[in-house]
Amino acid sequence: MFPSAGQLIPPNSDIGMVLQMVFSITFIIYLFYAQRIQSMTMLRQVEGTLRRVKAIRDEGRSVSIQTIKEIGKPENDPTPEVERFLEHFMIPPVDMDPAGIVGKFDQLINVRESTFEDEVRAIAPSASDSEVNNLENLLEAALALNVYYKVIRHFYLLGKRTMNIYVIMQIHMILPLIMREINAYSAALQAFKEGMPIGDGVGALVAAKLMHGNPWKEVAKEMVAAEVPMAGRTLVVMKARGPGGSVGKPGEAVENVLDEWKGRVKAIIMIDAAGKLEGEPTGDIAEGVGAAIGGVGVQKFRIEEAAKAHDVPLYAIAIKEDISHVVAPMEEALFDATDKALESVRRIVGERSAEGDVIVVAGIGNTVGIAQ
Amino acid sequence: MGKRGGAEYPSLSLSWTTLIVVVAIGVFSIFSLYMGFQAYGSDHPEQANYYIIIGTTGFAAMGYMFFRARSITATKLEVPRVDVVTTLECPQCGLKRIREFAQGDYVFKDDEPCTRCEGSMTVTRIHRRKDEKEKS
Repeated sequence: MFPSAGQLIPPNSDIGMVLQMVFSITFIIYLFYAQRIQSMTMLRQVEGTLRRVKAIRDEGRSVSIQTIKEIGKPENDPTPEVERFLEHFMIPPVDMDPAGIVGKFDQLINVRESTFEDEVRAIAPSASDSEVNNLENLLEAALALNVYYKVIRHFYLLGKRTMNIYVIMQIHMILPLIMREINAYSAALQAFKEGMPIGDGVGALVAAKLMHGNPWKEVAKEMVAAEVPMAGRTLVVMKARGPGGSVGKPGEAVENVLDEWKGRVKAIIMIDAAGKLEGEPTGDIAEGVGAAIGGVGVQKFRIEEAAKAHDVPLYAIAIKEDISHVVAPMEEALFDATDKALESVRRIVGERSAEGDVIVVAGIGNTVGIAQ
Repeated sequence: MGKRGGAEYPSLSLSWTTLIVVVAIGVFSIFSLYMGFQAYGSDHPEQANYYIIIGTTGFAAMGYMFFRARSITATKLEVPRVDVVTTLECPQCGLKRIREFAQGDYVFKDDEPCTRCEGSMTVTRIHRRKDEKEKS
């Protein structure tokens, strides 16, 4: 077939000249419109992602409404309240004069939490305390998805309007990273809806394993602690109160425990999930010093202040996990890592304290699906 | 839009029109490459370069259309639902059982009665089921 088809363009034709012209015109067009073509290509990719994010955002919204109807059994349709919730925002305090900003943040966060709790109780009157916590977390995940969607849409529309490659590149370059977080939040919907432990709860799980079977008491808002004997020492193990989704107030809890034991505490060991770098295995354990806790920084500040005031060293155990694991149902490797973290706690207790000492062990993270 | 397992969303998939265009470009590219290699042995080897450039450009365009510029059409969205398992253990006789996660399960929950002794089984582990791919 090919030899006969080849007769279509005889060897002696002027094809070379024609092709030369085509390439020259293409070159000139590309010279002037290359950036525009590139912008259009990137915009198209952003558009595809935006449509997917919109679908996930809508899924978050509908799962929230459906779960509130199932668990909360409201008399009226909760859709308008959920819509309002998804647009909730917090204005951070002014930081031109940073003195006292932690207290301002603390107050704002408390107001935000109590507002969320009141709103969820109002739209889900039949929900138990644990279920209210889980619904709050579910709505927060839906809210985060809504924010992601709106930010991507903002840059997409702005880029489309201006056709400015630098506006489009801003969102295009970070899309793969943002999509990992969005996918994690989409998995979080399932976790919070059904009350499954999530990757962030691995620190709380270590504390739960230590304190399970021992009597516990509430030491701060949504924080519980138990006295656990270990190798002649007394461990005061604390975590957020489960199994509802909560991170509690570890800063307040550490302050209260240090005050209660009046100088007898010889060390604070904090266990928390930490972001791993690519190449590091999930569930890897690393030890260090300092307050192992994330968030805005209010609780971290309070822990550091309390540790300084009582002159107590802070030891940290980090359990490595990917950003996509943080709010998704817990990986098996992370569950297995809790035993290795317990070994680290035992070793630090043995090496850094003497018999008769009191050591605070704080398991940090969201305790959804983890009792004590 | 928005229903679990039934949410409609525009995803990237190949439409029939694009497929026909891709096939046409493919045939044309193969033809051009063939002509290019034929031209090398003919009296006009300078034409070979043109044909080969056209052929490779055609393949590049095909690749682009496949992986980047596929048409946006509506399909069903399945927001991935992960498989989570619950492990129950009897603290008295040590009997261990693994089952699918059920709503209301939590770590250290006293769950169902033990089938081997008179004790009560406790939830000791809840985690995602390891992928078969990861195991191998």
